[in-house]
Amino acid sequence: MNIKKMNLIRIFFLTLFCSSAQGHHVLGRPSYSLNEDSTTPPSMQVEVQVGEYYITYMVFPAFPSPNQPGRVNLYASRIDNGEPFQGQVIFKVRDNNWLNKREEVLGIQAVDDNVFRQGFEFQEAGNYIIRAEFESDSESYQIDFPLRIGDASVFGPIGVTVSLIALLLITVNLLQRKKLINAKISPKYRYKDKSL
Amino acid sequence: MIMTHPGLPYEWAIIICLLMIILIVLALRTSSIYEPRQYSINLVELPVIGPLIKFLTFNSWPLFILKLIVVLLFLFVITAGLFGSPIAERNLATVLTWNLWWTGVIVSVFFLGSAWCAICPWDTIAGWLIRRRLWYRTSSNNSLNLKLPKRLRNIYPALFLLVGLTWLELGFGFTINPYMTAFLGLLIMLLAIFSLAIYENKPFCRFFCPIGRTIGFYSQLAVVELRPIDTDICANCTTLECYYGTETIEPCPTRLVMGRLKQNTYCTSCGNCVQSCSKKNIAWRMRPPTREIAQDARSHWDEAWFMLILLGITSFHGVTMMPFFEKVLSKLGYMINDSGSLLLTFSILLFISLLISLLVYIFFIWLTKILSISPISFKKLFSGFAFTALPLAFVYHLAHNLNHLVRENDGIGQIILNPLGIEAEPLSMMEKHARHTEILLNQDLIFLLQSSLIVFGFWVSLKIIQNRGISLIKINGRYLLPMIMFSVLITGIHLWLLTQPMIMRM
Ligand code: SF4
Ligand code: SF4
Repeated sequence: MNIKKMNLIRIFFLTLFCSSAQGHHVLGRPSYSLNEDSTTPPSMQVEVQVGEYYITYMVFPAFPSPNQPGRVNLYASRIDNGEPFQGQVIFKVRDNNWLNKREEVLGIQAVDDNVFRQGFEFQEAGNYIIRAEFESDSESYQIDFPLRIGDASVFGPIGVTVSLIALLLITVNLLQRKKLINAKISPKYRYKDKSL
Repeated sequence: MIMTHPGLPYEWAIIICLLMIILIVLALRTSSIYEPRQYSINLVELPVIGPLIKFLTFNSWPLFILKLIVVLLFLFVITAGLFGSPIAERNLATVLTWNLWWTGVIVSVFFLGSAWCAICPWDTIAGWLIRRRLWYRTSSNNSLNLKLPKRLRNIYPALFLLVGLTWLELGFGFTINPYMTAFLGLLIMLLAIFSLAIYENKPFCRFFCPIGRTIGFYSQLAVVELRPIDTDICANCTTLECYYGTETIEPCPTRLVMGRLKQNTYCTSCGNCVQSCSKKNIAWRMRPPTREIAQDARSHWDEAWFMLILLGITSFHGVTMMPFFEKVLSKLGYMINDSGSLLLTFSILLFISLLISLLVYIFFIWLTKILSISPISFKKLFSGFAFTALPLAFVYHLAHNLNHLVRENDGIGQIILNPLGIEAEPLSMMEKHARHTEILLNQDLIFLLQSSLIVFGFWVSLKIIQNRGISLIKINGRYLLPMIMFSVLITGIHLWLLTQPMIMRM
């Protein structure tokens, strides 16, 4: 069986840090929209192309919090003739974490009006990966989408930047000291090193 | 739902084509070398603007205050990007960076040259941390002051980063991602800090920075320049403070000697030379925008590649905003069995478009060589005529950015009131329509500006071809037809792109 598996990293980087709106190139870009007819919170939508299918994935609400019920809607239609997929989709979840690969099945959903709906409710804030699996024409499709519950940790980039700068300054200072000591003890060195 | 901006009406395109034909006929009939007008006006001597320029350039502290403001804005952008709403059109990081700054900075180059670099936050922060000073020169610093390895002393690193930046911007969609916009800002800052901490002078600004080099090349077409008031004074100068600096003023960060300066490309407008020159012989001047590019600028192999790739990137940028692009991408992705956001397919298309623009140029250079029967080397011809690409890229970049600038900045008020977009909802349908219809300039004026830009770019490219043709291979008139055809072809493609509806970046 030929497995068409989406490159997780690609989608991961694109959508983990959920951005928005109409881009120039829309595939794989999350977009946010308001439901104009009701007071329901905004939703997030991503459209991707995998194998023979265009797949649209929607999350309600767009920014779910812990203990808040939410829903994933998935719609798959064939690229060649636009026919919606009518089989079954298995939804799985795992932590979005390189070390933890343990998956849990969220549910198996049959099509309802061309859409596969999967409810969820997470107790803990964090970044998760929702995997939708289905089979069509003896080919297995696995599509991974990120789902962020609650606020994301934003100290990563700042922490890394500050640490790198601190490390750089310390290293440069240590090297400068070493040079200075060498220059003091070696007259030959003093000639060579113009920066001191 | 995808919303598009209207393209340039065909009537305008026809007028542009007619003007181009007239310009070609004139160029072919001319047998003498094109001599750009040599006037230049010392801006410091002008009323109103003169004292302002003096105030900004002869003292260190006004520039310091400007830098401080820009650094604070930069930190605010980082904060908004990392902590604010992921909805791009509600977050200051994406709106300020991509809608205002990146589009505005290109427009500013024509009038102010590389003025952006004078207040650039990356270089400022790197300077503060590594040089351990706010504005004066200090004897000790946090740099190892190593010499930059010879193989890095060219602009291929900047070229590589420019292609990378385009890939991130268009392929990865950084322009609609506040978090990644902030991340990119931090990354460039780290690169600037690291290169300043390791190497002497400012190799990041001179060789690595894709933004600085793009601005630098485009500023060859700027109407202003920083040059000696009296060239004889520079010729007889033995102290060269502009190059070495003084006890309190830093030397030229990109190692330029004012007396020999012929092109803006590597000047970062830092103003060090203005302050350090003991004879007060350096000033901002106004000049004809064709002089440097058609006559003064010297050609180099690496710079030629940069200019040509810049042209390819600019055109590709326009193509990605056409409604048909997504369909082509999807079809090709399907054919090569790519999946997800089709990044591989996108990368292939980017590579192909750059390759095509290079091959087209190479073809016309080869034709010129054959027609001219000149013993000049292909390499020299390639580098010498590469300047032709610059005005074509610049005017299309400006015409394209004009659309973003005047059609996509409605709603700035809301961003100022809520820069992090806290609790902000996505754009409603009504807002989308309002943004689509509310533009900052009259639509006909936009079309007029775009058309004038295209004609101007084409005219400048003809002047370059005429001047470089004579100086390189002593040919003019019909012998230059291949290069004129190159210019016509690129202008034609850009014109066609401008006539197409363009996807709105909200
Ligand atoms: S070259 Fe780049 S880093 Fe240097 S001042 Fe200009 S924009 Fe800033
Ligand atoms: S010191 Fe160098 S980079 Fe700075 S303004 Fe003068 S020539 Fe330009």
